[in-house]
Amino acid sequence: MIGFDGLIPFIGLFVLFVCLGFYGKYWRRGNLDNVHEWALAGRKLGTALVFFLVGADLYTAYSFIAIPSGVFAKGSLYFFAIPYVALTFAIALITMPRLWSLSKEKGYITASDFVKDRFGSNVLSILIAITGIVSLLPYIALQIVGMQSVLTVMLSGIGNSKIAEELSLLIAFVILAAFTYTSGLRGATLTSIFKDILIWITVIAVIIVVPMSIVGGFDTAFKEIKKANYVTLSNSMVPAYSTLVLGSALALYLYPHAINAVLSSKSVHNLRLSTALLPLYGVGLAIFALMGILVFAVPSAMHYLSEFPESSRGILVVPSLIVYSMPGWFSGIALLGIFIGGLVPAAIMAMAQANLLTRNIIKEIKPNMSPQSEIKITKIFSTIFKFIALGFVFIVPATYAISLQLLGTIIIVQILPAVFFGLYIKSLRKQPLIAGLLVGVFSGIFMLEYANNFGVLTSSVFNTPFGPLYIAIISLVFNLVISFGLSALIHKKVMLSKKVKNR
Amino acid sequence: MYIVLALLLLIPSSVNLVVPIYNKEMPSMFGIPFFYWFQTVWLVVCSGFYLAFAYSMNKEEEEKNPSTTATGVPKSN
Repeated sequence: MIGFDGLIPFIGLFVLFVCLGFYGKYWRRGNLDNVHEWALAGRKLGTALVFFLVGADLYTAYSFIAIPSGVFAKGSLYFFAIPYVALTFAIALITMPRLWSLSKEKGYITASDFVKDRFGSNVLSILIAITGIVSLLPYIALQIVGMQSVLTVMLSGIGNSKIAEELSLLIAFVILAAFTYTSGLRGATLTSIFKDILIWITVIAVIIVVPMSIVGGFDTAFKEIKKANYVTLSNSMVPAYSTLVLGSALALYLYPHAINAVLSSKSVHNLRLSTALLPLYGVGLAIFALMGILVFAVPSAMHYLSEFPESSRGILVVPSLIVYSMPGWFSGIALLGIFIGGLVPAAIMAMAQANLLTRNIIKEIKPNMSPQSEIKITKIFSTIFKFIALGFVFIVPATYAISLQLLGTIIIVQILPAVFFGLYIKSLRKQPLIAGLLVGVFSGIFMLEYANNFGVLTSSVFNTPFGPLYIAIISLVFNLVISFGLSALIHKKVMLSKKVKNR
Repeated sequence: MYIVLALLLLIPSSVNLVVPIYNKEMPSMFGIPFFYWFQTVWLVVCSGFYLAFAYSMNKEEEEKNPSTTATGVPKSN
């Protein structure tokens, strides 16, 4: 629990955060009744702002809570997040500039817009929109779990802390919904800069203060996981590690909110430069991951964690390490950074979902919608999606939500053949892509259930003759074989019938 | 030129994916085993490679097409 010296900076900075969110409406003014303006900030963001906005997608509760909690429990395996971050920007540098150029030329706002135009298939574009919306639900839920863990550590010790926790979460969400409704992506961009400043301050302070304040520094901390043999990967886990890296790296830029951020860039040149710089963000992520190990050397934090059941200790690692190793006023700042570090990405993701639903699903059914009602429906649904995710967290226990992020990736990576290969390869056809997508999603979900004996989701790898592999990669291979194989067959048939006609 | 551009992305990426390169404890730095500090440092190296790629792509585009950066869409038959 933190005292008043921590509570005052926490609340003060939260008020400042809210003001920034509402001020976003006036920042670089545009007509917010227009979808391009509300959702893409008018495609006017420069190198630095796109850097922060995509960075906001990376620095989420995934990095503050999920990864450190994995490293805390399993050591080296969950460090896969670091090479994943390094690799994903190489993939983005190949695919995103082209997607940006096409979108600018033809007015696309989502990946579904592109797919509809490129393959002339409403069914495929609707399926891709649904895939995007579904894959983000567990991701948003993870953000809320992160915010909850901050509140748990902050409020523990006061009577009725559970009610206080849920009430604070609800208040935070109402405020967030209000300012994304009025300010759109501009509000999210401004607040994500604020969030990133707080996070970098936290990262730098923790990595300097904590190792110096404990006897033996990192040596002591690593001793504990050396006992458990988690320091490096056992040979059998190497295939799991590299497929987790590859699968996550392929998926990041397929997530609707990431594409949204890319399309808000001012030019291809800016986009390339900001993408090239983004691996630097991963350094902070690595420091957070190491906190999952550092905490072993802070006895007071370990003692506090031992009061909780083993399954929920992991998500509390970073907030409790901060509270037990930093001065009170500083932990207020750091905890707020982590708290809004879940809040801002949740807003960005809910906006991306609402965009997909309105543009690529509702508009397909009701094509003669006016721009005014389009933006209105988008805004309303971005609010609804936030509260769906919130409800989700109140119902589903915390331990589920973290593995559900890896489930989100298994689902979203299945749109890769249509979106990434569709940018470059001419021979792909719509029917094989639809079949591949469906087989990919359902085989992925089935393997995940099977690997967990149809129970609680704890594992996301599947044992194969090549060793344990991340399920996203296995189901993507099925998907690719179907998409390319059937496309080649259809192509052959068309060529044959052409020959017959020419005779 | 295209080979150089491809290598600027392939070299850092293959290191990320070939896990045995860094799956070891020694040499450690400030008490942090090799596995952890190497992957963290490699992020910065990757960024260097990517920046070189981004600059050369941007330059090439400007020379080819000084006024516009838009490209056409591949049409399916």
